[in-house]
Amino acid sequence: MGESFFGLNVAVRGLFTAQRNLDTVNHNLNNVNTPGYSRQQSVQAASRPMALYDGTGMVGTGADVTGVKRVHDEYLDFKYWSENSPYGEWDAKQEVMSEIETAFNEPSDSGFTTIMSDFYSSMQELAKDPGSESVRALVKQKGITLTKYFNSMGTHLENLQQDTNYKIMTKVNEVNSYATQIQQLNREIYVSELDGNTANDLRDSRTLLVDKLSKLVNVEASEVVYGTKPDGSEDKHFVVTISGKALVDHFNVSKLALDQRSSDEKVNDEDIGNLYNVRWEDGNSLTIKGGELKGYLDVRDGNEGETGSNGIASPDYKGIPFYQEKLNEFVRTFARAFNEGYIDTDGDKSYDAGEDSGTGHADGYGHDSSVTGTRFFTMMGTGDQEMSSTDFLGGASTGTDIYGAYDKLTAKNFSVSSDVIDDPNLIATSDTALEDGNINTLNSLLDFRQNADMFSEGAPEDFMKSLIATMGIDSQQAQNYVANEEVIVNQITNRRTSDSGVSIDEEMTNLVKFQQAYNASAKMIQTMGEVYDILINQLFA
Amino acid sequence: MRITNNMLINNMVNYIGNNLTRMDKYQSQLATGKKIQVPSDDPVVAARALKLRTNVAEIDQYQKNVNDATSWLDTTENTLSSIGDVLQSVRELTVQASSDSTTTDDKTKISAEIQQLRTQMISLGNTTYAGRYIFSGYKTDQKLLDETTGDFAIDVDTSEENILYEIGIGDDININVAGGDLFNDGGDADSTTGTPGTLISDFDALITALNAGDSTAASDLLDNLDNDINNVLRIRADVGARTNRLELTGNRLDSDNTNFTKLMSDNEDVDMAETIMNLQNEENVYKASLSGGAKIIQPSLVDFLT
Repeated sequence: MGESFFGLNVAVRGLFTAQRNLDTVNHNLNNVNTPGYSRQQSVQAASRPMALYDGTGMVGTGADVTGVKRVHDEYLDFKYWSENSPYGEWDAKQEVMSEIETAFNEPSDSGFTTIMSDFYSSMQELAKDPGSESVRALVKQKGITLTKYFNSMGTHLENLQQDTNYKIMTKVNEVNSYATQIQQLNREIYVSELDGNTANDLRDSRTLLVDKLSKLVNVEASEVVYGTKPDGSEDKHFVVTISGKALVDHFNVSKLALDQRSSDEKVNDEDIGNLYNVRWEDGNSLTIKGGELKGYLDVRDGNEGETGSNGIASPDYKGIPFYQEKLNEFVRTFARAFNEGYIDTDGDKSYDAGEDSGTGHADGYGHDSSVTGTRFFTMMGTGDQEMSSTDFLGGASTGTDIYGAYDKLTAKNFSVSSDVIDDPNLIATSDTALEDGNINTLNSLLDFRQNADMFSEGAPEDFMKSLIATMGIDSQQAQNYVANEEVIVNQITNRRTSDSGVSIDEEMTNLVKFQQAYNASAKMIQTMGEVYDILINQLFA
Repeated sequence: MRITNNMLINNMVNYIGNNLTRMDKYQSQLATGKKIQVPSDDPVVAARALKLRTNVAEIDQYQKNVNDATSWLDTTENTLSSIGDVLQSVRELTVQASSDSTTTDDKTKISAEIQQLRTQMISLGNTTYAGRYIFSGYKTDQKLLDETTGDFAIDVDTSEENILYEIGIGDDININVAGGDLFNDGGDADSTTGTPGTLISDFDALITALNAGDSTAASDLLDNLDNDINNVLRIRADVGARTNRLELTGNRLDSDNTNFTKLMSDNEDVDMAETIMNLQNEENVYKASLSGGAKIIQPSLVDFLT
């Protein structure tokens, strides 16, 4: 045996080691509920032994804590990020779809079917008493109710598009904010790890930020080796990319930017003005393949991939513009048939001679009236005033021009004509002037309700039925995707928590374990003290 | 697998959330009585619900139309019956007047009586239903016959001017009898000729003959009267057949209404007993998961270290 106080030193080392371990336990227990926290473990090893050169072997010198390790499986991070994007995407879609569903308010006793049935019932009553002022007023009112339904749908969808646009702005700002935070953490982590340490808690924060980012947009993140540092270790840079282009590259951040669209950048003709385009701040175009951002962009712009008049293809999804276009198609086609007797028999959605041969409202005479050419439905003009038939047609006289006039109709501006509003006696019932009981025109208008050639989907109510079924199926699909993705994301979260989460039982066991080690080392010191007491104080007393 | 406390807590929260979602579904089904609240709950049920609603609304309207058509035809039938009675009286009076024993004085009295019946006939020709002249074809706001001359006041095209009520999809019924058909022996009503239809002109000829005391001429007119009576009977038979058809249609619509309402209910209404049972079942599961969760998240080693 060499040094006199050797044993005391080893015991002290034991105390320190136990203490370091207890610190880690303490830290873990503190962070049991911290989001993104990965449990830490002290790495303990026997300290360098002392060699004796007398052939009696090496003497152990106790233990040292050589580092603090973060228990974390990066494979699960990649899994989580790649599944979180579709989850975010469908979650966003599901949210907007359910709003569209609420707007349609079907099936109910106050939705489209009821309003349409009421309108036709009032016309049936008129057929039985064409001269009655009160029934005529009823038909006018039911007609107004029908147009108001479409007006409110149109306005609702526009507002929804506006709201979704606002959400896109918020999400882009969030992405930029996360990117900046990640860039700052990159700097801190890089600096603190220069001397070979691992910045456990900072790395947890960074992973948590990428977690959040992955719900917003499709991201890939990894540490890329950029050569070696002066001490020989690998020089790793943390890079976050969106569809291949770096959002954060080590200490640099490249942000996303929003541009208000000009009118010739509209994707769909129905779109409201000044929607945002998302691009890279440096001017490059951005491809978004997942995340809430894609979800919101798809529902805001999606019209089944149709190309609008600006030649820009919309996303291949039935979003808000799809429903706007369908409602517009409905009011245009319905008004064309009702007013002009126009039925698109070949289904090519354009004017063909001979397809306007049916009897419409404009072909008939009202009560005590010898004029034809009154249109029941027109649109709101300037100042939201209902237009008269003459103003609406604007001098159109040929079949093509009259057909074309209806392209100005939208669900939002659809209205009963001012002629009918001012004088319900102009509601056409008769095909001959001044015949009070003649309801030939009215019967022809009633027949349109069953006309299966009016839409490619069939009669007017079939069209709406199929639209509402489409909406139901899409909304249900979004809900199913969300549910599925949620299960997957939850499962990965579970595996992460299983691996990296803090177990209180485990920590308490460690607490006892290290406390006992501490106690044992203390006992060692006491014993050593007694040994020295004998050696120093009593031997020469 | 390593199980940590937060795993237990997360899972418990998820499970309880799922339980609550299912309970919420049954709860809203019970509260509304409907299987679906929005189309995405079941797009097929939703689409069918819309179709059935339209069907029921249409049938309701057709039932109203059938009732209104029946009232119109009932009025027509009553009027035709009165016209038949008038003609029958005229025929009896004519037979009486044709007898050689009837004096000229009596003939004048009979003529005066027939004059009264003529006026009644004209007023029957101008019968209204809810303010509308029933024999005036499309001109329901105008009288068919001139009250003094008995001439046609308007033109009515018997084959064209049919008022059609819709009583089913693609199913119309003609509810009116054109004035010419009745008063001009199946022909049109024509206001331009300045002469009344055959029915009134037979009256006029009879009155002229009786005023002149010409029994032979009066007796010759009996054939015409028989012809007129047969014409009215023909029209009555036709109106009767239409009323009959309306009755059958009405019955069919009644049963359609019941059937479609039932289909609608089968399609979208919840089975209360089943739903209450499901809710009860979910409630049990919910309580069980709450009690299990409460047990599992509470204790840890901390509680046992002294």
